[in-house]
Amino acid sequence: MSAFGPEVIHGHHVTLRPLVVADAARTLAWRLSDRTTYLNRGAETVAEQSAWIGSRPRNERNFIIELRSGTPVGMVSLIAIDPANRRAEPARFLIGEPDAVRGIPVAVEAMQLVYGLAFDVLHLQRVYGTVASDNRLMIKWQKSFGMQEEGRLRRHLFLDGRFQDAVCLGLLEEEYRTVALPRMNALIRRP
Amino acid sequence: MLSSDEIETLIYEAIAALNSERDATDQIPATPETALFGVDAVTDSLSFVSLITDVETSLNVDHGLDISLADDRAMTRPISPYDTVATLRDYIVELLEDR
Repeated sequence: MSAFGPEVIHGHHVTLRPLVVADAARTLAWRLSDRTTYLNRGAETVAEQSAWIGSRPRNERNFIIELRSGTPVGMVSLIAIDPANRRAEPARFLIGEPDAVRGIPVAVEAMQLVYGLAFDVLHLQRVYGTVASDNRLMIKWQKSFGMQEEGRLRRHLFLDGRFQDAVCLGLLEEEYRTVALPRMNALIRRP
Repeated sequence: MLSSDEIETLIYEAIAALNSERDATDQIPATPETALFGVDAVTDSLSFVSLITDVETSLNVDHGLDISLADDRAMTRPISPYDTVATLRDYIVELLEDR
């Protein structure tokens, strides 16, 4: 048991298990793929990625998303966990193996498990984050699951060769229960 | 009330919005048989949720119909209403008839 919840979190379709240094090569390949246009730049080599994984602070939970078969398909984190202010930031959400998850609601369940960790286990009041303004599908996805737009940081990100606004999104505990959870449950059909 | 054909058109408009952001080689076909969810789906999670959200928004804003396409009712059906354009269309028709 981590200071911030269980080591491994089981869902119906996926399991979240801790990101470890041995995941460096795989996660680096995911991050360097063309699917990560909207993620912040990170490590460029396996050594740098290993060092980054090994230096994660204690107030973060970093997970590999695995299918129930054990196949790693992506990553997701809950960072900046702040027990005093009861808030945290879901982050680094990436499906690295899109073909392996076709037809399986992996992304929705992975985020539901992160929200469950935040609100049901850690008893936070709020999760929040920023999304690049060009990443319209992700903004729509987050809003569909209850996130509210709380503001906009103008020209906050330099991504894809130009400056973009960062759209600030937040989800309160009651919005998780009344909006996010029912909608996510509807899309996660049990096997 | 919206007809079945009008609802299908509304779904196609949501597909067109998605296609406007996709490569020419990665267009989602606008047919009743187009698989939206499941192993044969042509949409990933982000695209699928975007489509559902656009259809809900159109029903709500353009037609004053406050219905949710992702709730307990959808979850408990033996066949997913999200399988294809046709199953989604028929599910919306059913929701509107039950209002």
